[in-house]
Amino acid sequence: MAIDGSKIIHAIMEGSKIRESKGIIPIFGVYLSLFSVEYYNRLSFSFMHKMGAPQKETSEKLLIEAAQECGYATFQGIRNSWEWDQIVVPMIETREDQIFGFTAVAVAFGWGDLEVKKIVPGKKMILRANDSYEATGYLEQYGFSDSGKCYMLRGVSGAFMDLIYGKEYPEGLFNFTAQEPLCRAKGDTYCEFLVTKSPNSCQV
Amino acid sequence: MFDWKNELNRKGHRIAISGQPIAMHCHHYNINLQKTLEDNMGEAGVDLLYRSVEETIYLGLSNLFKQYPKIKTLNSKLEMISLLYQNCGLGILHFQSVRPNKALVLSPSSHHVTGWLAKHGRRDTPGCHFARGWIAGALEAAYRHPVGYFSVVESQCKMSRDRECLFSVAKAEK
Repeated sequence: MAIDGSKIIHAIMEGSKIRESKGIIPIFGVYLSLFSVEYYNRLSFSFMHKMGAPQKETSEKLLIEAAQECGYATFQGIRNSWEWDQIVVPMIETREDQIFGFTAVAVAFGWGDLEVKKIVPGKKMILRANDSYEATGYLEQYGFSDSGKCYMLRGVSGAFMDLIYGKEYPEGLFNFTAQEPLCRAKGDTYCEFLVTKSPNSCQV
Repeated sequence: MFDWKNELNRKGHRIAISGQPIAMHCHHYNINLQKTLEDNMGEAGVDLLYRSVEETIYLGLSNLFKQYPKIKTLNSKLEMISLLYQNCGLGILHFQSVRPNKALVLSPSSHHVTGWLAKHGRRDTPGCHFARGWIAGALEAAYRHPVGYFSVVESQCKMSRDRECLFSVAKAEK
């Protein structure tokens, strides 16, 4: 694996300290904001709570899809950015290296200590986080859960595979689906995301 | 005093501002969350977003004011609030005619306006619920009022064709 995540983290930390006069942070082809993880956790978990138990599956799906659509657009912007060209492209040797590059960006964004555990090209990916802010936040606020709580990371994991092995952008969104079989919010040692082809997705 | 560049720190995979854990998210995610809440919960979703920001920034700023006891006048607190908003990439806030029970706040640019317009174009109703919650929580922390003391209404919004976003702050009716 040729991707040096520390170079990406350094670029994002330095870039996130630069603002234009309007108070906007344009970096890696997106507008970035910095805000408390507590806000994102309150929003997601209160949304689930207010939608109610009968709507649990629908609510989870909405949050995951919101994150997957975001991840798809965000990382498409990122891989077409000047910064990606300058910093990441020189390190890319294989198609799969792009996923390692995406993961390094996600770590740089403070989403967790993400690590790609396995990629079966075109078919499957396993991504692991020992410290996702969503699982940590859920545990702190509610204690143990009976299901995975890392909705954002679950959606984003799917988006990584959509972008690399899905149909050409923008047709590839939701070609892949992520599950979270292991989550610290359930008492597991780490959170793990298993991404496979969506049941109804065409061969890509 | 409050030196922004020293406040943003990374320890391994965790990022913090003045010791408070943060994450970087782009306009795609922030706007998707807002739209998901608005589309599926209506006014209750708007209120959830507003309250989540209000409570979060209230706690964050209350801690920050404790860390910087020299920042004690209203003007210096407002300056810090605007600086934090701008340095978090959230946009520009100009506090105007701030009084104990009312205030006007102008915002000529914001992350959420830029993000909303980029993703969805103009909308028919004011949409800066995040900024409203932020202003409410920030002023409550500055005045040491409890959460929910102020209500913030957006009377002009760049998402719906106005030149600037204008927020009116008043004591909330019980």
